[in-house]
Amino acid sequence: MHVRGTIRDLLAFKNLVPERNRRIDRAKATPLTEDAMGVLSQRLHPKRLHLKIASIKDETQTSRTFRLVPDPLSGTSELPPFQAGQYLSVKALCQGVRITRPYAISSAPAEAEKEGFYEITLRRMPGGFFTGYVWDNWKAGTLLETSGPEGCFCYEPLRDAPHIIGLAGGSGIGPFRSLMKDILSGGTDARLSLIYGTRLPDDIIFDAELRALVAQDPERLALQLVCSEPDESWQGPTGFLSAAVIRRLVGDVGEASFFLCGPPAMYRYLEKELKSFNLPPGRIRREAFGEIREPAGLNGFPQGTAREVFTLTVHQEGRTHTLSARGDETVLVALERANLAPPSQCRSGACGFCRSRLVAGEVYVLPDDDGRREADRIFGYFHPCASYPTSDLVIEVPPEA
Amino acid sequence: MTDYDVVVIGAGNGGLTAGTTLALAGTRVLVLEQHNLPGGFASSFVRGRFEFEPSLHELCDVGPASDKGGVRALLEDELGVAVDFVAVPEAYRLILRREGLDVTMPFGIPAYLDALERAVPGSRGPVGAYLELCGEVLAALDYLKDSRGNPDRKVLRKRYANFLKTAAYSVDEVTARFRIPPKAQDILYAYWCYLGIPTSRLNFTIWAAMLYKYLTKGAYIPRYRSHEMTSALVARIQASGGRVEFNTRVAKILVEGGRVTGVQTASGRVIPCGRVICNASPTLAYNTLVTPPQAVPPRAYQDVNARIPGSSALVVYLGLDATADELGIEDYSYFIYESADTDRLYASFSELGAPLVQATICLNRAIPDCSPPGTCIVSMTVLYRPGVWERVPPAEYVATKRRVAAQLIDDFERSLNISIHGHIEEIEIATPQTFARYTGAYGGGVYGYEVESWDSILPRMMSLGQDEYIKGLSFVGGNAFRAYGYSSSLMSGQTMALLSLKDMGVRA
Repeated sequence: MHVRGTIRDLLAFKNLVPERNRRIDRAKATPLTEDAMGVLSQRLHPKRLHLKIASIKDETQTSRTFRLVPDPLSGTSELPPFQAGQYLSVKALCQGVRITRPYAISSAPAEAEKEGFYEITLRRMPGGFFTGYVWDNWKAGTLLETSGPEGCFCYEPLRDAPHIIGLAGGSGIGPFRSLMKDILSGGTDARLSLIYGTRLPDDIIFDAELRALVAQDPERLALQLVCSEPDESWQGPTGFLSAAVIRRLVGDVGEASFFLCGPPAMYRYLEKELKSFNLPPGRIRREAFGEIREPAGLNGFPQGTAREVFTLTVHQEGRTHTLSARGDETVLVALERANLAPPSQCRSGACGFCRSRLVAGEVYVLPDDDGRREADRIFGYFHPCASYPTSDLVIEVPPEA
Repeated sequence: MTDYDVVVIGAGNGGLTAGTTLALAGTRVLVLEQHNLPGGFASSFVRGRFEFEPSLHELCDVGPASDKGGVRALLEDELGVAVDFVAVPEAYRLILRREGLDVTMPFGIPAYLDALERAVPGSRGPVGAYLELCGEVLAALDYLKDSRGNPDRKVLRKRYANFLKTAAYSVDEVTARFRIPPKAQDILYAYWCYLGIPTSRLNFTIWAAMLYKYLTKGAYIPRYRSHEMTSALVARIQASGGRVEFNTRVAKILVEGGRVTGVQTASGRVIPCGRVICNASPTLAYNTLVTPPQAVPPRAYQDVNARIPGSSALVVYLGLDATADELGIEDYSYFIYESADTDRLYASFSELGAPLVQATICLNRAIPDCSPPGTCIVSMTVLYRPGVWERVPPAEYVATKRRVAAQLIDDFERSLNISIHGHIEEIEIATPQTFARYTGAYGGGVYGYEVESWDSILPRMMSLGQDEYIKGLSFVGGNAFRAYGYSSSLMSGQTMALLSLKDMGVRA
């Protein structure tokens, strides 16, 4: 066969490399001057944000909201946009140890865009290692290093029902405050019925503010506070967020998407309660809550090794380190104590940032927090943030990028 | 501090096969990867109950164990890497919306021709002859590979004359010689979007090789997503004495006197080495990595500036809470095009309007248990030219990708006359920006430099060596001489490693 004639075809073949060379000869010998995608990527997903605490507000006796603004002197001149429900992973040097903590952004996307701030709201835990440090050290003007906005606890109209039933517990109210404001400003087109449970009436964060937000658009926002240990002044519903309470407060739940944010105990309780609604799994979305405190109390946790201390042999960047780790603390916490931590963000087994190689030994992975890839199970990789040692370990840990 | 003979930049498909080949030959090799996972695009990610495949639709040139293709032979026989490959059931289902065409095509040339003849009577003869030509082209490429760059010109002219005579032409130019009925040609062209440029500009050689390999060897995917394959390669490198480091971005390729002397990582660590095999694109290497910049010869800039950057993609990943049977998703691989006009379809990659193209796969049709019982995984891909997503303002980014995703889902539903939007349990939408973010690819490019005839596989192969502008710096992966696609990238890594070994005087 031929295309244009045998001779012409063969000449065309012979001309291929000369033609390629001619095209290269004609091209400019100048380097690229811009990387527009790199710029967009950096604006949307900066690896690090350098923020300054602009102001601090006491919300309750145990909780504070920190307003964070860009710190251009350290290299952050604008805040990336975020979706209501996302979090920042705060990086801090706390008593000589580099750690990370995920905190939901409690302010609105529009506030970041138009007014240039994020807010995070922390509740001080009794004896809390990190929150104790924060209360002592974070002042107006303090500089912080964080990740960009991360996480997928966001309303997605292509997936979720237009009616959201939000179930918040304790300090898990942050993302819902953001969502309420986003609904009011038109950023999210959905209805939100929020049920917010706390132990004591004094624990309610944003009480007056949430009511004021609802008053702005009672068609689309509803709020119900539920208290499990009410005092005499309490007039609202009491108890836990049971199926009966939810049904009584919001009526029909069949056409709604549930969004849950609260402590692990609340999730365990709700898992049983929500079963009676018989919803498809995708209709119940729960935010990761970071590290589990006192995991040894959980069903299935290996009791035999919880109180033991194991030896971790850690390879990182060609060096080998030895450290000890308790059976009831995550491998990540042990690594952080030795300042050998890999990058981490969610601290719930999901995001995979801390993915490391388990060369030898055994770990227990919390079933609810097992976000490993199938091939990682096969080839011996694990997420230190959701894994507890049950033997001595040899692990290979990537460096902080 | 250990010294290394070779540093491989990037643990993508090409970087990993290069690293494995070098480690097996006993050289001291270090693979550096900026992400905390291997693979680049060949990876996986988890959302809820689902583990998604980020980019692979189907691997070409694997073949069954009884009739191995190049990729299976490379991995299993030459590199000693076991991957649990699963066969894709059918070649493709093509839906042309404007023409009202909906046809499902099988693998295997006899079956393919039968199906084509049924759809378009009279097409068997011309298409059969066309595929024979494609087979000749592939055989010639195999001969070139076996001759290790020194083909006998007489043999080429005598035995592979048709290969030579078609090498300089586009797909359209060659296909026009066969008098294929137009509708049959539309069906035949379905795979064009895997190479991503219109058939008027797409070089015939690479097209013919791809088409023939798919039809004769079938298509395969790794059982546990591409992450299984790339993890297996990492394990093989480690077991063979090589090193792979994650979260370690190379910031500089150090050059002195026109020769590579080492690399420097983003954290400042200097690693001396005489050779760098770069899985990042030449565009990126010359513009951002080579240090000092004056060490980049003007000709290297001209080279990358002359070439046409490849397209990127938007992918919608769906975890659905019903089975493929329940939803009426019957096939694995769908090409849904607005029309058969590939120029028009390609032009639409430069706009953010309603997408005219989607390549959609349902993973469960190859691997029924790839997701929990009662669920399935579907992903939809449309391509974009560089520059399109860069123009989207950050504040409109999420809304923009959501709009395109909604249109793809809607088109898919209307094309199959099914409904899936009420079954979305998980959704993720990746854009060129997402790919840039996770892989570091320049512009988020999924495909490498476009394969017009002057820059297709043959002229690139014949320019090998001559384009080593900096001694000791060579390239693998989707931007390398074999062009893009998983199979090409995997093969490029081995070839470059073998050439490096030859250069170093090491016998493989």
